[in-house]
Amino acid sequence: MKKETAIVGQRIPRPDTPAKTMGMAEYAADIKLPGLLVGRILRSPYPHANIKSIDTSKAKQLPGVAAVITFADVPQTLFNRSSMAEAFPPPILAGEVQDEYVLSDKARFVGDWIAAAAATDIYTAEKALDLIDVEYEVLPAVFDPVAAMQPGAPVIHAGKERNIAATMEYPFNCGDVEKGFKEADYIVEGFFSTSSQKMCQLEPDAAVACWYPGGRVTVWSPNENPHLAKRVFAKVLNIPDGLVRWITPAVGGGFGGRLSFGVEFICAALAKATGKPVRVECTREEDFIGHDSRTAEYQTMKMGVKKDGVITAIEHRIISDSGAYYSHSGSTTGVNLIHTLGLLRCANIYGIAQIVYTNTPVGGGFRGYGNPEGAFAIQQLIDEAAEKIGMDPLEFRLKNAREAGEPSCWAPIALESCNLEQCIRLGAERIGWREKRGLKKKGQVRRGLGMSIMTHASGAGGFLLEHSNAIIKLNEDGSANLIVSPCEMGQGILGALSQIAAEALGLRYEDIHVVTGDTDVTLFDIGSHASRSVYVIGNAVVEAARDVKRQVLERAAKKLAVSVNELDIQAARVFVKADAEKWVSVSEIAREAIYNFTLTGAHISAIGSFQSDNWCPNFQAAFAEVEVNMETGEVKVIKFVVAHDIGRAINPLNVEGQIEGGVVQGIGFALYEDFVVDKNTGNTITDSFANYKIPSILDIPEIEVILVEEPVPSGPFGAKGVGESGLVNIAPAIANAIYDAVGVRICSLPMTPEKILMALNA
Amino acid sequence: MPKEMASFTVNGKPYELIIEPQMTLLDVLRNQLGLMGTKYACGTGDCGACTVLVAEKPVLSCLTLAATVKGEEILTIEGLADGNNLHPIQQAFVDAGAVQCGFCTPGMILTTKALLDENPDPTPEDVQAGLGGNLCRCTGYVKIVDAVLAAAETLRRR
Repeated sequence: MKKETAIVGQRIPRPDTPAKTMGMAEYAADIKLPGLLVGRILRSPYPHANIKSIDTSKAKQLPGVAAVITFADVPQTLFNRSSMAEAFPPPILAGEVQDEYVLSDKARFVGDWIAAAAATDIYTAEKALDLIDVEYEVLPAVFDPVAAMQPGAPVIHAGKERNIAATMEYPFNCGDVEKGFKEADYIVEGFFSTSSQKMCQLEPDAAVACWYPGGRVTVWSPNENPHLAKRVFAKVLNIPDGLVRWITPAVGGGFGGRLSFGVEFICAALAKATGKPVRVECTREEDFIGHDSRTAEYQTMKMGVKKDGVITAIEHRIISDSGAYYSHSGSTTGVNLIHTLGLLRCANIYGIAQIVYTNTPVGGGFRGYGNPEGAFAIQQLIDEAAEKIGMDPLEFRLKNAREAGEPSCWAPIALESCNLEQCIRLGAERIGWREKRGLKKKGQVRRGLGMSIMTHASGAGGFLLEHSNAIIKLNEDGSANLIVSPCEMGQGILGALSQIAAEALGLRYEDIHVVTGDTDVTLFDIGSHASRSVYVIGNAVVEAARDVKRQVLERAAKKLAVSVNELDIQAARVFVKADAEKWVSVSEIAREAIYNFTLTGAHISAIGSFQSDNWCPNFQAAFAEVEVNMETGEVKVIKFVVAHDIGRAINPLNVEGQIEGGVVQGIGFALYEDFVVDKNTGNTITDSFANYKIPSILDIPEIEVILVEEPVPSGPFGAKGVGESGLVNIAPAIANAIYDAVGVRICSLPMTPEKILMALNA
Repeated sequence: MPKEMASFTVNGKPYELIIEPQMTLLDVLRNQLGLMGTKYACGTGDCGACTVLVAEKPVLSCLTLAATVKGEEILTIEGLADGNNLHPIQQAFVDAGAVQCGFCTPGMILTTKALLDENPDPTPEDVQAGLGGNLCRCTGYVKIVDAVLAAAETLRRR
């Protein structure tokens, strides 16, 4: 049952948005500092090359140039560009492979960083890059992971034979799949490829850095894990953590792209070399080529099923294309295995993955972090299996999906709650599943329905370092500063945490002033990713609020001459529950605590800490209605119905916004977004919005979001996560709808008209 | 590079600036006038984030050479609100949940202004056509359409 709340559950506008509509939000590229220089980066024109020599003398002599740096000027410490690397406990994923230098004497993809220059203006900095003489020894390159795994393929990282960076097994392999397949009445299998979708956050990567007397460095960066980023940054620079101050300005979208370091290290190296603040702002082309995209995965999946719908075995083998550096490619692949194989009941499971280097731009973690890739495979096989045994795929899913009390996708943790069944039933009703699906089709344009289900973590306790802290201090006027360190990249977390704080304190929404984005001020937090922030940080906020509220009540009890138990706080008033006429304002209590002449003063404040041991997965069912043109192969998405098990929506307006945004990104992933690298030269062909299409406002279908709200006991006011989920089901739901419409199964993303026509004509 | 003096009216105020031939309107607004609300997101005219209004018409400031708009009246996002009172379009974007990361928002709002100046009572399809050149990666556009329709209604009632 939902508890009555005054602020939680309201569709309240977010605190960060008025300034954003006025152009007042300050993003990294907007920061101005006295003496600010601008930096530009020289990038390799070759996919694989050693630097034989590099001469920067002419560039350094150009008037206006303050510094030119190469690998000789930066620490040669190996690291992984994932800022989350420190949050992984080593026994589980063997850590993230450390295979990158800030600048190196070897280029491993076209666009790899070779050198950088800082100058008074961008034109001079670019001219300086032209004056750097680099002599390359061009090496043979490999662009395809299967080719890269062959004996004799060019070795991209010394010591990694056949370019296999890592091999990982699903941590919860169980039973005996061979036995399971023997018990099956039918076996379905397929090969599924998913593309390197590009984040395309509207703000290109940018950072500012400045060193101050005394040896401290401040970095302004859109990274979404500020405290973790600070830690890795200090390690690579070999300086104490306390010398690094990490500031998060406004962030223009993330979607996983901010989980990795971008230009921060180069920016800091240029700032150190010049003794001046330096800003590096990437062009869109540089953002496309030089920064992570979704890790492309090649999956072979096999499922055994009995006539009654029991799944007897699942085997899942993945080859992931890491690109030139490991980044998040391993962890996203692991997260694929965990969510994909942890969704359904099955006694015999085997999953294994290999992460393979190629001379291509780097594979990272995009929203959903492996889960959409796995869903594209298993949700299609589910439909195939259901068809083989003559069962409605909806019933097949209901029969096999794990339920509350059973293991969650992180098997040692039991599912605390699961409202997937309700999501499936409500969504099916709204899309018209019974009436419209499986009809005989004719004509040039044919309609079809498809569905997909998913589970996704709300943070990953027991797997990641799930540690958050919040500070609340009560001001003299009864307003409160909420000091937290998520990363507001657009998802609305500052609003959600403010609503939680106001509700838990008994204050009004406008009484909460959020302070964030500065590691000198905020307490440790692992940041915003894994759909964790509302669940984990929200719980820390509740803890802090409980303590502050106790302090207020104790002072009010003395003032009103009643016991603490008789009091509560609502709308910024402390009142006697039995006699609401008897009250004192929170502002009076707060002011008298600070301006206190009886030596019993205090600045009412508290720290709340939360360390999650739970994944508290959220669930979702999505239903697509599509039209397929038999002559052109074009797919038009008509409608999506998405039912999400949110526990409790802290702000339904924002939850809808997260899901709608995910659906539309998912449509791009499903139908047209494809990061293309020329297989002869290694050049990235899709390096602009003109040749890499993301959905526009003209491409959106009708989207209906249904929020299934049954509060989960461990969540703040019952909330679970939502950030990534909207994207996961979209491609498989569309694939299944295409099959329903025209009877062909497309197992390669994006599902372009060409692929559909080829399948129709096969 | 030959430099020249040029005059512009930006957000109702006259400016005399030294410009160079290669400078875009975006460069001038951001680097010379410090109007950082106009965003660089693609530099190729594909996303609309740098949209400003020149003589009340939407223009991609990243593709517009400053020298070509000398003497013009330019409206940037900083010039839309009345002090701290949001313009009804801005308020509608806030209320409808149409702003997430905010990076496309200035261009989206100024394009909306031009759209509503021309068509005060748009259908959802008109809104889609009018904002077809403005990319947003966060919202899925649903709440942007809601915001534009709500703003149109507020403005019609004024």
